[in-house]
Amino acid sequence: MARVHYRDGVPAVIEATRELTRRVVRPETPARLRLWVAVTVLTAAALLATTSLLMARVQDQVRIIGDQAAPQAATAADLYFALSDMDAQVARMVLTAGSDELAGSQIDALGTYQQRSRQVDADLQQSLTTSSGAADRAIVLELLDQLAVYRERVWQTLTAGESAAAGYYTQATNVLHLDLLPAAERLRTTSEERLTRAYAAKDATASWATVLAVALGLALIVLLLALQVWLARRFRRTFSPALLLATILTAALVVPVVALLGLQGSRLAEARDDTLTPFLALSRARAVSYDAAADTSRYLISDNLAFYDDDFKRKAARLTGGDGLPAVAGGPDVGPADTDQVVARWKAYQQDHAKIVALAAAGRRADAVSALTGIRRGDAAFDFSYYDAAVDEIATSRQTTFDRTLHDTETLLTGWQIVPIALLGLVVLLIPLSVRKRFEEYR
Amino acid sequence: MTHAARALGLVPVLLFALAACSSPPPEPEAAITCASGSVAGQGSSAQTNAVSAWIKDYQVACEDATVEYASVGSGAGVAAFIAGTGDFAGTDSPLSAADLPRAGARCGGGQVVHLPMVVGPIALAYNVAGADGLRLAPDTIARIFTGRITAWNDPQILRDNPGAALPATTIRTVHRGDNSGTTDNFAKFLSATAPADWTLGAGSAWKAPGGLAPKGSNRVVSTIEQTDGAIGYVEASYARFHNLPTARVGNAAGEFTTLTDEAAGRKVAGASTTGGDLQLAIDYKTASAGAYPIVLVTYEVVCKTGAPALVKSFLTYAAGPAGQSAATRLGYAPLPESLRAKVEAAVAAL
Repeated sequence: MARVHYRDGVPAVIEATRELTRRVVRPETPARLRLWVAVTVLTAAALLATTSLLMARVQDQVRIIGDQAAPQAATAADLYFALSDMDAQVARMVLTAGSDELAGSQIDALGTYQQRSRQVDADLQQSLTTSSGAADRAIVLELLDQLAVYRERVWQTLTAGESAAAGYYTQATNVLHLDLLPAAERLRTTSEERLTRAYAAKDATASWATVLAVALGLALIVLLLALQVWLARRFRRTFSPALLLATILTAALVVPVVALLGLQGSRLAEARDDTLTPFLALSRARAVSYDAAADTSRYLISDNLAFYDDDFKRKAARLTGGDGLPAVAGGPDVGPADTDQVVARWKAYQQDHAKIVALAAAGRRADAVSALTGIRRGDAAFDFSYYDAAVDEIATSRQTTFDRTLHDTETLLTGWQIVPIALLGLVVLLIPLSVRKRFEEYR
Repeated sequence: MTHAARALGLVPVLLFALAACSSPPPEPEAAITCASGSVAGQGSSAQTNAVSAWIKDYQVACEDATVEYASVGSGAGVAAFIAGTGDFAGTDSPLSAADLPRAGARCGGGQVVHLPMVVGPIALAYNVAGADGLRLAPDTIARIFTGRITAWNDPQILRDNPGAALPATTIRTVHRGDNSGTTDNFAKFLSATAPADWTLGAGSAWKAPGGLAPKGSNRVVSTIEQTDGAIGYVEASYARFHNLPTARVGNAAGEFTTLTDEAAGRKVAGASTTGGDLQLAIDYKTASAGAYPIVLVTYEVVCKTGAPALVKSFLTYAAGPAGQSAATRLGYAPLPESLRAKVEAAVAAL
């Protein structure tokens, strides 16, 4: 056990502290000078630590948004889209199987299916690597399990022969719609919630950084000015250049720090509201449209089952409604003509669907398949590509803008954990320097 | 105030100025220079997938343009072009000496120009137990497809694959049951490189006895997939998308070359141009290091003067990097850059 030393019945440590305090606050000039210096240096050190640490934290949180949260949300959206299109390509392959005229369409569908399949694998791997919670990992593992079942059904569909293909495909598309897509939807929701939390955490840190920088910065400036005045009165000096420089350096740090924190906040909020959120909403609508377009194929594969026509109409109504394409393909970043173009091209596909259903109902299946797979204007395959190109243009623009804003913001914040150390380190050196000669007068 | 202090005061300003510099904008993709109107072509089925992709992309970018292509075969395509019912023809072979003056007459007494536009490597896809990276010399291929080598552990195959443990599985050859430019080019390769073992000449109909004969490339790959011991020739895209292994084929340089876009491009790049335009004379006996020897080059044939602006615009896109990239995604090999530049220049001169 450590032995405690006592002096006049009081522990030595407490007595030493009292003595120091007495010396510092003594009304004599040297003691007052020491007090000024101590308080000012401590304030500068507090400002240094606060701004440096909080700026580093903000920078780190912006990086988390850019490197983790936003890509996770985009990956989850892409997963939903890739799963939807994968099944659409299987439907195309089933529909074109055994037809020499449609061999090109079939090999194109096979190539696209494989591409989407790799995309799904990459998205799941990415989600598994970056998911931070057990719940997210459980969803990804569930998706991997169901994906194995789905691929087994697809393999059966493509190898079973014409008579059994429709039955196996029904099971495949059921696995997709009843298991895979709902799980992908949950993953998408959790990743978007994580993005919201990442933004909130960054905003909270930035707010603290702003408040503390302003409070401590003002306090330091006031102390420096007051010290300047006190020295001038007490020692009859005009002013201290070192203190003046320290005051300017403090202001030169605090003003840009506060401006920078405000700028990054407004830029990132703007990027989220004007580009990222609309990008994710457009991705959702795009996935729905791919799934709806596959309903046209499913209708023909299932021998004109009204269920798929109804499903198409339900999805189409969702897309053309007020919250659908007119909203998600519009906004301040998109010209009205571009939004109208997306909607008009989707409506053209709706007309193609109606035409195909009518041809199939009239017993003209070959014509219906031709209208579905053809690449002439007015054929479904072309019109869907035409629609998708218009969507892609907006989606790419939004993604590029968000990535660029994020990159610019990260660049803007670079080095700002070092700048306070450099500037305030100098301030801490300048304060004793400014009073060194005054102390010498008392020796 | 000291100079140092002034300099320090400038630090935040400089950092701001640096940070305010935006990252450079991404390189924009080369835009398609659109033309309007409606044109039609017809011909080779070997290039149908590429032409369909080009049409789709072109029409998406150019809303006032309509381009159509009918996959009717090279012969019918050239006949339709000569008859004036098409604006361009797709063909796997240059026009014959008999067709050239008639095509010239159709172009108002001018000339036609051959534009090599698509390279389609021909793969030898196989399904053999334990075999990977199979190497086959031209004479071995000829003897396999004429039924003189009947088992996978034949000494001649082992000669090409020293150290390989190949099974005694019976070889089941698969060829196209319908007329095809792929068959013609494969037979031309065998005629040129294994004349002692392949004496059946070339042509779009298969001439060797025996073997399985499904119609269409999709059925050829399905048959190979389903048949133990099978080997067949098929466009590389089909083998690639069906994940079938393909043989490394012996070339005139004495190498066994893996089928890649670059290796197929080397073969095409080594070909000389003839006929006063860009007809390619692929000499299978020319030793080109690293070249994959079995390639099919298909052409677009158009009038040298008076071609519609839309044909020129469409072919400019097809011969450009974006068009070649679109074809590559479908399993075609891109034109070697030197040849692509010549095609681009020829299209620009239309």
